[in-house]
Amino acid sequence: MTAPATDRGEITASDGARSAPRLRWNAGTAQRLGLIVVIAGLVVAFGSARTAFYDQQLTMFPLLRDIAVLTVVGLAQMAVLSIGHMNLAVGRMAAFSAMFMGLAYQDWHLPLYPGLAIGLLAGAAIGGLTGWIIAVTGVNSFVVTLAMDFALLGLVSLVYAQTTTVAAFTTNPAGMDGLRTYSLADVCVGQVCGSPAVPQLLLFTVLAMLIVGYLYSRTRIGRELLLVGSNIKAAQLSGIPAMRRVVGAHALSGTLAALAGFMLAVAGGSFTATIGSEFMIPSFLGPVLGGTLLTGGVVSVIGTLLGTTLTQVIRQGLTLLGIGLESLNIYLGVILLVALSANRIRAVLSERRAVTPR
Amino acid sequence: MSVLFSTARARRFARSTEMSLLTIGVLGFLVLAAGSHGGLLHGNAIRGVLTYLTVPILIGLAQLVVLAAGQMNLSVGALGGFLAVFTAGLMADHGVPAPLAIGVAVLAGALIGAANGVLVVATQINGFIVTLATMTILLGLQYRVAGTRTIDAGSPGLRRFGTLAVLNIPVIFIVALAVAGALAFVLRRSLAGRRLLASGGNPLAAQLSGISNNKSLILAHTLSGLIIGIAAVVTIASAPGVNKSIGGDWLLPSFAAPIIGGAALAGGSVSVLGMVFAAFIVRLVDLARAQYSLDPSWVNFTVGAVVLGTVVIGRIREVRQAKNTSPGTGDDSRSIGSENRSIGSQA
Amino acid sequence: MTDNTDPLLVADRLVKNFPGVRALDGASLTLEAGSVHALLGENGAGKSTLIKIITGLYRPDGGSLTVAGGEVVLRSAGDAVRAGIAVVHQERNLIHEFSVAENITLRRTPSQRGLVDRKAMHANAQRCLDLLGLDLDLDAPVKGLSVAQTQLVEIAKALSTESRVLLLDEPTSALTLAEADRLFEIVGRLRDQGKAILLVSHKLEEVFAICDTVTVLRDGTSVLEAAPLAEHSTDEVISLMVGRSHAAQRFAPRPVPADGAPALEIDRVSTASGHRDISLQVRRGEIVGLYGLVGAGRTELAKALLGLDRVVSGEIRVNGDTVHVKDVRQALNTYRIGYVPENRKEEGLFLDQSLTMNIAVTVWERIRRALGYVPRRRERDLAVDYTQRLGIRSSGPDQLAGNLSGGNQQKVSLAKWLAAETEILIIDEPTVGIDIRTKGAFHQLIWQLAADGLAILLITSDLPEMVTLADRIMVMRDFQIAGAVANDHEYERVSRAVIGLIHGREPAGPVVE
Repeated sequence: MTAPATDRGEITASDGARSAPRLRWNAGTAQRLGLIVVIAGLVVAFGSARTAFYDQQLTMFPLLRDIAVLTVVGLAQMAVLSIGHMNLAVGRMAAFSAMFMGLAYQDWHLPLYPGLAIGLLAGAAIGGLTGWIIAVTGVNSFVVTLAMDFALLGLVSLVYAQTTTVAAFTTNPAGMDGLRTYSLADVCVGQVCGSPAVPQLLLFTVLAMLIVGYLYSRTRIGRELLLVGSNIKAAQLSGIPAMRRVVGAHALSGTLAALAGFMLAVAGGSFTATIGSEFMIPSFLGPVLGGTLLTGGVVSVIGTLLGTTLTQVIRQGLTLLGIGLESLNIYLGVILLVALSANRIRAVLSERRAVTPR
Repeated sequence: MSVLFSTARARRFARSTEMSLLTIGVLGFLVLAAGSHGGLLHGNAIRGVLTYLTVPILIGLAQLVVLAAGQMNLSVGALGGFLAVFTAGLMADHGVPAPLAIGVAVLAGALIGAANGVLVVATQINGFIVTLATMTILLGLQYRVAGTRTIDAGSPGLRRFGTLAVLNIPVIFIVALAVAGALAFVLRRSLAGRRLLASGGNPLAAQLSGISNNKSLILAHTLSGLIIGIAAVVTIASAPGVNKSIGGDWLLPSFAAPIIGGAALAGGSVSVLGMVFAAFIVRLVDLARAQYSLDPSWVNFTVGAVVLGTVVIGRIREVRQAKNTSPGTGDDSRSIGSENRSIGSQA
Repeated sequence: MTDNTDPLLVADRLVKNFPGVRALDGASLTLEAGSVHALLGENGAGKSTLIKIITGLYRPDGGSLTVAGGEVVLRSAGDAVRAGIAVVHQERNLIHEFSVAENITLRRTPSQRGLVDRKAMHANAQRCLDLLGLDLDLDAPVKGLSVAQTQLVEIAKALSTESRVLLLDEPTSALTLAEADRLFEIVGRLRDQGKAILLVSHKLEEVFAICDTVTVLRDGTSVLEAAPLAEHSTDEVISLMVGRSHAAQRFAPRPVPADGAPALEIDRVSTASGHRDISLQVRRGEIVGLYGLVGAGRTELAKALLGLDRVVSGEIRVNGDTVHVKDVRQALNTYRIGYVPENRKEEGLFLDQSLTMNIAVTVWERIRRALGYVPRRRERDLAVDYTQRLGIRSSGPDQLAGNLSGGNQQKVSLAKWLAAETEILIIDEPTVGIDIRTKGAFHQLIWQLAADGLAILLITSDLPEMVTLADRIMVMRDFQIAGAVANDHEYERVSRAVIGLIHGREPAGPVVE
């Protein structure tokens, strides 16, 4: 599932995928390798406890579909974490954009992809607006996105109440239902078909990972985003248009949130007002478990995928074991705390290294 | 709430912010009362307004005290929800007498709050993400305790307490005001409270003055947890039963009231009175919605817009005051070239 | 007041190391009760490190501290307060939202059963203000006060703990003459009460007017210790401060095209931050020094050139053309102006990023291709190239900037502007916190850059460095040019002329313009 992105998904600010390994790079890589081992171990453990875990259509397909959606959500959060900000409105931006898509399909009768484009634009616009408010006022991103969350929550429900009768758009464009259920089994090259476990929706995720990965690892703007997160003063004094980068990071976050909203609507079968209401916690879990720093400057696309995968595997496994979703949050919270402490320990270690003259 | 004022100057300042909030509140209430043809002025109506103002005030206070120390607490709702179902469960399932259960709830709140504070200090990671983690855990615990049922504490005494009113003023509302008064007193008059505010206002200066910022952080989170414990008890007393969704909608209002009420988000300055008035105004939005049968979404939309407006206007005012500094970009960083210079240049 | 004849505070052969630098190397200090003691030294001599050790912010790596005869270990600022040591820091450390009275008593807020004793607090605060002869509203929040008033509140705060040792770090930098006079009156009164007072000041007149004894620090060592000030002249003290030992290093003469057109011209420029009528010119191949005390407006002038401060009147010309710089990006890409900031860790470097990122940041615009693609090889090659050219010692282009020593970090901070092929380079305090050997290599480098044709504006508070490098020295005071000194690299003469201009005396050396 990670194959398409493994060689370019990893980005620390420094390049280095092919260069000699370095200390922190190793720490980041080790963290991701650790995640893979843990995920593999859990898959084996859950699988041997319940063979149903390996059921391609009933378990793997929905599991991968959830991973697909939530990885994009994680990337949306990662985009703002890269500059040291956060986006609490990530879910509501998804809802806001999904609303535009719903309108596009129901009232404007647009086909699937033009509607998606409108949604992505709406996401970019609302994200950009949020970033602009933060950049101009200098108010903490937490507060601005929290307030934005409030406002969008109200706005979205209002529009649904005005334009729909059941808090959901009823008209779906052609192709949407197909997208929902298609797996790679429906894609055949000659006699060879893909696995029925892999939903086609995952292709959107791969595409998003490739684009975001390319942005952060290969382009000027991506590098500049990381430097803004690393030290905004130095970034400005080095000629980086920091304000534009702040707006850009939030616009990217909004766009990715919109994509996630679209994917969730496709997976769920309709565009509803509640899209994205469950995004906030997973949006942080994926990147943070995957090694993206909250303080900005370091991101990992592949880590976000792995972090998201870990949480979803646990969720699915516990459900199958009948432990119940109630307890799931407890484990996720504990994992998050442990991961944070690990970050702290690593930071202390690297400070020690920094002090040692080389 | 005379404890809030001490100086002529501060009084003038406090009046300008808090009086305008009060004016808006009173005017809004009068307009609504007129719109309801006086219905809102009936005893029962007033009692309803105040009853549903109780929890917003308490959770606002819980958030305010961590904001004062320059922190934030995302686990407000999850902690409240967990404590509510846990305490109700103690009484309903295990027959624990109400007074003991109340004590347990408040104590557990304080302890969990303290744990938040200790984690923030130990990991040195910002309070946001630490409390996000504890929020997740507490949500899980709440779901596990409550399951799908609605727990009725089954204590007639507590229920009576929840509905008791003096001159149509609910006792639980008086409790909330008392908590507000106590918190204002602590922040205003007690040594620990002043140290907490000093840590929030200028951690470096506080440290240089021999104040332990770590202690301040832990105290702030402990007080926050304690107040949430009280909010949980009030919820059990006033609601017909508690379930796994209790506390789910507390997070946003807990920030809205202190921010509208004038808490400096960077810490150091809070107004308990302003927060209480702000909570009242938010409550009025809800009332107006009910009165004119508007969609419930208007409440969130309005409150969100007001919070955004408040921070933006507040920031603009701040920038105007210190207009000698160059424009900044983005949060968490001071703008470049804005180091305070000596007054030599102004001569 | 005290019967004890022991000195109130003795710092004995203190040693403090920072990565790559030994900040203190056997610095000693003795403070007697009932006397005012001056601590002098050029920037970087170790004064602030010494003060931070005495006030419990740093732990020394060697040496001892004795307070009133007993050895102490200060682990925190609170320990120092308890040991009876109070300090007025250079940066103002007040809680803006708190009242004057609360700020003054913050170190030891009077309380009873956990509650603030407001009466005692007011009484104590009033007592401190009375000592200073100040009349302030005790209940007014500090954020409404003027800069001078907050400075006085800081001093009142230091008095509040009844400490016997009082450290004043540049207490008059924000005060008017009348205010300063009143402060020194109070200092005299405190001395008469038996307190030991340490005054750190750049203003020698001030020091000679009120101090009894003096310690001079140079390169982290006390070169003059607890000497009666009456026995030394101003000139002697200056000589000790600047030291003959490492007087100007000499480089091979560098041809400066004397009649060349200026690359950078600042023509009667006044700025929003308060510069008045600043004029100076830098030609290609020339190093022009900008000397002055901290707060004289040098860094701010550099930032005005980068578009970070508004030019109110006057003109800036680059290669003869009048320019209006909007931001750093434009300064870099259009006018080829680079700025190596004074505080490399906060403004110059991305500590948690690789050398490649740190050096290539200014060239991405130039080397990018379609879709913003930055060829990695190109950027790495550039980084490797400049790492080698500047002799940056690292494990490779992927090493994190934060793991380099101070000198190498500074080279990285410079490298990005060289990579950007700037023509005008502003270098702000290039060798602060850098050990003496690296410093020499750095000077050689700057010299070479000028020889290669760059126009360099050098801001430094390190006089030997200035005399070593600059072709001309402009002295700034209070956001104005106080005068210019032609540099013939004769250290004695030039430094006297410069220090004379700084301290507002008639220059005694060769002065041009």
